[in-house]
Amino acid sequence: MDGFAFLENGIWFGLAAIGFAILFNVPQRTLVMIFVLAALGGLTKLFLVHLGASIVLSSLGGASLIGILSIPASHNKHAPPLVFAIPAVIPMVPGVLAYQMVLGLLHLSGNPAGDIYSQVLSETVSNGLKVLFILMSLAVGVAVPMLVTRKSSSKDIVIGKRKGKAVDGK
Amino acid sequence: MDTPESLEIKEKGSLLLEVGSLLMSSGATTRRVRDTVHRISEAFGYHADMLITNRAITLAITDKHEQYFYNSLKRTSPHGINFKVVSGISRMSWRVVDEKWTSGQVRAELNRLTSLPRYPRILVLSLVSLAGASFCRLFGGDALEMAVTFLATFIGLFVRQEAVKMNFNPYLCVFFASFAASLISGLFRKLGVGTSMEHAFTASVLFLIPGVPLINSFSDLIDDNILNGIVRGINGLMIAFAIALGLLGSMIIYRF
Repeated sequence: MDGFAFLENGIWFGLAAIGFAILFNVPQRTLVMIFVLAALGGLTKLFLVHLGASIVLSSLGGASLIGILSIPASHNKHAPPLVFAIPAVIPMVPGVLAYQMVLGLLHLSGNPAGDIYSQVLSETVSNGLKVLFILMSLAVGVAVPMLVTRKSSSKDIVIGKRKGKAVDGK
Repeated sequence: MDTPESLEIKEKGSLLLEVGSLLMSSGATTRRVRDTVHRISEAFGYHADMLITNRAITLAITDKHEQYFYNSLKRTSPHGINFKVVSGISRMSWRVVDEKWTSGQVRAELNRLTSLPRYPRILVLSLVSLAGASFCRLFGGDALEMAVTFLATFIGLFVRQEAVKMNFNPYLCVFFASFAASLISGLFRKLGVGTSMEHAFTASVLFLIPGVPLINSFSDLIDDNILNGIVRGINGLMIAFAIALGLLGSMIIYRF
């Protein structure tokens, strides 16, 4: 794998996330962090794919990293984690697969001949399931820190050493 | 007879409803809406119960001695996603607790947050188009395809903004945008400019993907707000369907 060409992808992941962040009207102070999170998450996904993991599992890995990193980001920039996590995972949305699934569905609705029909059907189902599971893994990844720590607010999640206020008034 | 206490509970109750409906329409999850309204109402000294749906919120609050009671229903305003408001209200709710804000201060902060300027239109158009071009690059497109995607996304988003201004049905706005963007990128593909242009054709409609409804739908489902999760999920699917219809329109015209 060519290192520079690989890292270049990080820029495109970041820029794609920034576009959506602007569309969602995020606070200005969060923009840099969204770029960084999207780049790291996207590169993680590509790296996992390169290692031979399935596209679904790789997306889950990338999105989980974004979900976990969105907690320190939210502490640092004083904004809810979802402000960082949602724009950052959007570049991982499987656009090409979704497009191929729609093409397949259109093809199927047009009465293709028997043997072509079963081939198109199996491709379409396969693409559609991938799209579904990738989207689900992106949503799970964003939710990971809240699920793991069992806290209702990211403010209560302490990373590393406990500092500041004592817990339970001790 | 209106006593000062009953006037106060009325004022604060309507304020809490406003906070909830603003959060809901700006793209917060159901859990965040509930937690934030609870946090503020506890700071005001009231116990709050809520029924939260996508289009309306019902709130009932009582004071600690259960002497005063306020109950009302508010439709959520159809403003669209605005993370500046979500983030601002979230910050405010902690300051209400820590600094013991009065209802006047909360009202002033809400007014400030809703009147904050959005990003300039030309900046939004350019950066979203750049995002489209980035998508194209990630799919494996070359520089020419990226330029075509940029142009198609720019025009598509412009069409959507204009359609929203003209008060078209929201799904129809998405359809118009998808149709316009794929017509532009499809034209280049039809004319045979560059190599394949298929990446550009795919990437040019991706600025429309319903990321917030779909992700929030899952968050609501997993938090056991199943009804809201289903509503958001169907909303996301309808948007995806509108995008596909727009693409289909261009494909029929160009006979791809």
